[in-house]
Amino acid sequence: MARNRTAGNSGLTKFYWAIGLVAALGVAVVAFALRDGGETASAPIELGEIDDQELIALARGVVWGDPDAPVTIMEFGDYQCPACRSFALEVKPQLDLAYINDGQAKLVFHDFPLEQHPHAFLAARAARCAGDQDRYHDYHDAIFRTQSRWSPMRDAAGHFRDLADDLGLDAGAFRSCLASDRHADVVTANRRLGERLRVGGTPTILVHHGEGPAQQLGGFQFLDIQRAMEAAAGN
Amino acid sequence: MTGDLAADGGGVASTSRAVVAAVPPRNRMFVAVLALVGVFLAFYLVAHNLGWSGPIQCGTGDCGTVQSSSWAWVGPVPVSGIGLAGYLSLFALAVLGLQPRFAHSRTVAFLLFGGALVGVLFSAWLTYLEAFVIRAWCRYCVASAVAIALVFAATLPEWKRLRPRRPAQ
Repeated sequence: MARNRTAGNSGLTKFYWAIGLVAALGVAVVAFALRDGGETASAPIELGEIDDQELIALARGVVWGDPDAPVTIMEFGDYQCPACRSFALEVKPQLDLAYINDGQAKLVFHDFPLEQHPHAFLAARAARCAGDQDRYHDYHDAIFRTQSRWSPMRDAAGHFRDLADDLGLDAGAFRSCLASDRHADVVTANRRLGERLRVGGTPTILVHHGEGPAQQLGGFQFLDIQRAMEAAAGN
Repeated sequence: MTGDLAADGGGVASTSRAVVAAVPPRNRMFVAVLALVGVFLAFYLVAHNLGWSGPIQCGTGDCGTVQSSSWAWVGPVPVSGIGLAGYLSLFALAVLGLQPRFAHSRTVAFLLFGGALVGVLFSAWLTYLEAFVIRAWCRYCVASAVAIALVFAATLPEWKRLRPRRPAQ
């Protein structure tokens, strides 16, 4: 009887050692995986070798206005860029009134997150996560309106989640999307497309009409785009 | 255990029961270890669901699609959180059931077997969603499904403990 009890205690001791080992291993693996995972959410990813057609297909822009409008105004923008904020909140409303609302032109926004802006890539992904719930445009405006609040933050993910809550998005779906690597390929492809089009800074505006190549403008003010629109109309 | 001996008057049946009670149920050790593995798997997914970390690192499969689908949440609670609670409960029950005092507890046997059954059915439903609704696989979810299936297999001996005991002769 005493021998059996000793055998039982010995079995339990071995079991507790095994549990301790599994626990230590589990903590180490999860800690490593989470640390590893935290570094790639906010930076471009490796797309591998893709040709121009594949890149154009992947680098989907987001459209404001009539998709069939004859003139396309392309913007390559960075959510953490103050000039892009100015374009979104001051120039774009003028474009809406002058060309977009009546179907003369559409605006297509392409992500061009700059290396010097640590939250720009995550912000671009956040906007596309909102787009999964058909709220890209609202989120785009909200993220620019609050740029001065989140831009200096060390970690802006919490602010992006709060913005989604404020807009009434499905919080669970948004958080999951933001916490995953979803849309990282599309944002990266947008950036690479901009590089191929020789985009050097943000915002960069290109105007495209008809069959010819897109014309990259020297500025991003309303007057710059107005001149390009008039030239397009003259052709 | 002392009570068992007194009731049987120290006969052969009581001695054998005492021997069995002294040796911890081995299947519960397996349940505890497997449930602990499940705890870490579920915690990893919870951390991502709640935005405590960056993207899920997937070498194969598409965890991003699965974890960002509407099926990844039940209201404000991530499904992985339900899994975490389940694994923690099974782990605690298994460790409790290893203590000599609870080695023959029918309540512990019932909760272990019932909990594992509910877990394996829930997991089967989630696996079905991955295969036929979301059409994407997350390897951590698959690993969790395997873990809960093994937990369930390890709880099958509990069925014997659930059967009514024959009164001592």
